[in-house]
Amino acid sequence: MNGKLGSEAMRTINRTLVLFMGMMVVGAGLVYAQVPDPPPVQFPYIGNRTGVWIVAQLHILFAAFILGAPIFAVVSEWLGYKNNDQKYDRLAKEVIKVTVILYSMTALTGGLFIFVLLGTYPHFTSWLMGHFFLIFAVIYPLLFIGETIVLYTYFYSWDSLKGSKKARHIALGVLLNIIGTITLFVIDAPTSFMNTPVKGEDISIIEFIQTAGLWDKVANYSWMPLNLHRLVGNVTFGGFIAGLIAAYMYMRSKTDEERSYYDWMGFVGNLIGVGALLLLPFMGYLLAYELCDYDASICPYMMADQLSMFFEMQGAMVGLIFLASNYYIWLSLKRIEGVEKVRISGLVMIAVIGMPAIMGATWKMFPPPDWQSLIVLGLLVVLPPVLSKLPGLRNFTVSSFTMIKVGFLMIVVADAIWMTPHGFVATQGLATEETELPSWAGELALMPAKNAAAFTLVFLTVVNYIMYNWAIRRGTIIWGKIDFSSQFVLIFLAFSAIWTMGLMGGVRSLTRKYYHVYNLMPDFTAESFTPTLQYSAWWITGITIVFYAVVSFAILVTLHAAEEKKLDTSGIPIPAEVK
Amino acid sequence: MAEPNFTKIIVKKGIIGLIFGVLLVVGAKLTHFPFVYQVMFFLYALLGALVFILLDAPTVKRLEGGKAVVALIFFYVIMSGAYIGGASILPQYDPEIEKGKIDKVLKRRRALTQQGKAEELIARAKALNERVEAMDKKLNSLGVGVKVAAQAPSKSAFSGGAASGDLVALGKEQWELQECYNCHKLFGQGGKKRGPELDNIGSLMTPEQLKEKIFYPKKWKAEGFDKAYKKGKMPDKFRDLMFPEEIDALVAFLSTLKDTSVKTPKPIKMK
Repeated sequence: MNGKLGSEAMRTINRTLVLFMGMMVVGAGLVYAQVPDPPPVQFPYIGNRTGVWIVAQLHILFAAFILGAPIFAVVSEWLGYKNNDQKYDRLAKEVIKVTVILYSMTALTGGLFIFVLLGTYPHFTSWLMGHFFLIFAVIYPLLFIGETIVLYTYFYSWDSLKGSKKARHIALGVLLNIIGTITLFVIDAPTSFMNTPVKGEDISIIEFIQTAGLWDKVANYSWMPLNLHRLVGNVTFGGFIAGLIAAYMYMRSKTDEERSYYDWMGFVGNLIGVGALLLLPFMGYLLAYELCDYDASICPYMMADQLSMFFEMQGAMVGLIFLASNYYIWLSLKRIEGVEKVRISGLVMIAVIGMPAIMGATWKMFPPPDWQSLIVLGLLVVLPPVLSKLPGLRNFTVSSFTMIKVGFLMIVVADAIWMTPHGFVATQGLATEETELPSWAGELALMPAKNAAAFTLVFLTVVNYIMYNWAIRRGTIIWGKIDFSSQFVLIFLAFSAIWTMGLMGGVRSLTRKYYHVYNLMPDFTAESFTPTLQYSAWWITGITIVFYAVVSFAILVTLHAAEEKKLDTSGIPIPAEVK
Repeated sequence: MAEPNFTKIIVKKGIIGLIFGVLLVVGAKLTHFPFVYQVMFFLYALLGALVFILLDAPTVKRLEGGKAVVALIFFYVIMSGAYIGGASILPQYDPEIEKGKIDKVLKRRRALTQQGKAEELIARAKALNERVEAMDKKLNSLGVGVKVAAQAPSKSAFSGGAASGDLVALGKEQWELQECYNCHKLFGQGGKKRGPELDNIGSLMTPEQLKEKIFYPKKWKAEGFDKAYKKGKMPDKFRDLMFPEEIDALVAFLSTLKDTSVKTPKPIKMK
């Protein structure tokens, strides 16, 4: 009986266990199905992608400023120290004052960016963080903390580390820039990885990523080109924003002394902005070259298909920026007494006129990275000044005004070449004879012609600055007396540079097509298509205006407050013995 | 010396710009530039005239206080309007065209992602089931067995869409979806000389060779495309991005291309 009872009991236990396990099987499925996914987040009206776009772009603009402005500031501080010129020191300090204010905006938008990403694209964000965990969780925060400490130390030690201690202060500024540059390079790693994830020969990219180390992922195809492009872009940005600060402060200056200072500051800002701008087309070219080298299908997507008109707009923007920066030189030159004495060899003018055709043909014969084209380029740049020393050619000169006017003509020509597309269509698939270049002129739409146009713009601007430099040395410049419209040119330059940054940042992101990580992680959302240029332009303009409004507010609040403090001495107690 | 009258400058340079623009249009027309380019050249002439008008513009007087603020706001509005307007008058790509394509390309991958989740659930259930079975065996050995009907995990929820229907038509669809036309000319369309024209590729390569070329582009070179081959212009991504059925369909489509009137470059087997 006991055995029977025991058998019954075991059977009951057995059934219970089976039932329990069965429930667990079903329950596990149900639990798994119910727990992990939070309700989907959707940005009202604009959608998730545009939401992320706005926050990311704003963050990048603030970040570009806080990384670019210190480079500008420390160079300025060093020039002031070297030449014993207080103007440079004041300029550097004013730029850093604005940087300190905007630093908090960078951190704020950065935090917001992460929250928005996590809310809108949680799976992708955690996937990316998993691949770059060491960077996101350790390296980047440490660098950011380090940069914060050094920035504030740099700013607050300005008055204590002066005189014989100035070199130490400059060293602090250099340290700030080193940390800033490393921070930029570090955070560029996941960004560039999204465009060009590391891949191996004869192995699936998915398999390769699983075994790739952190350094493999960091040192991807577009990482260094993006680093260089952003670094140079940030200096340009810093220079133009310094020009913006100068323009605002010039407009509200009450004394000739202030106007003189801010006129000079605008000149320096523009000089550094344009100086870095000259390198920017080539850095952009390098980045595009690497993207195309990574996957040749990116090239037609950018240049001939969905994004081709974005590049058309870029051509217009770059042309306008070069026109404006040279117009600023023109306005600045006009107020120099004795400028009419400055002349330049007519051979330089001929070289400028011939440059688009000569370099277009050369780059067609020897496309980059072939080195032979550099010989022709070198001869074109070096020969005119060398030949102009020869007895018969020494007197073949033109006035600086003539040279600049010819230069403007060539800027328009170069921009026309830059902006001539193969077809006036949104994508080449829609091209017809009515919208395409005639076959004999097809070269106008190819890279050799575009490179030649870019180089003409750069060469011309360098020539103009050389003449400007001669004019300052030989004549008398009266600071503070520049044409008032020049301040609008400075504002225009800053606005257009920011707008172009937004446009090209959009292009870089869009080259991932319908992938979060190109060819690796598809974006399954309904928003993974290429937006129209018109739609993009609205948002780029909106983002630029918001950024501009914040920066303008920071400039006026910071520098106005400093001015008030300097002027208002009524509340300062005066020692009795002085009275 | 008094500054020259600005109105006269505007009129004079404006007229020069117009004359130059008309000459450019006539020249462009004679050299067979389409109308849209003629308009572009005319606008450049006007831009040139505007630049030269600005070079001779009289000095702008200083603005202060409210006037300066209003001028600034007006300037920002003009700039914003010009950039939005400029971007809007250029041809716009219709996203609807791309949306359809993306949907087709990602449909199977999306299904796989959902299937991936289902498979994970099934794997967990299977593990629990195995534990039940092990326990059942243990209990049976004690003489109290109850058979547990092991439920096999359901087969993949995914059923291949591309495998059904006309294979060649599906291959042609892949040609469009993978945008092969960006580099290869076919039926007189696409290409831009980046890759060889493929109208006769079916006569020159077997399906196996075509498949090998798609999987490992470096294993075959088109005659006369040494530079493109050296630079690795043909992407090696398709073996990762396309499903085997999609590649089969594309190969089937390419194998039908036997137009001998078109000179498709000879494929050369590489090591």
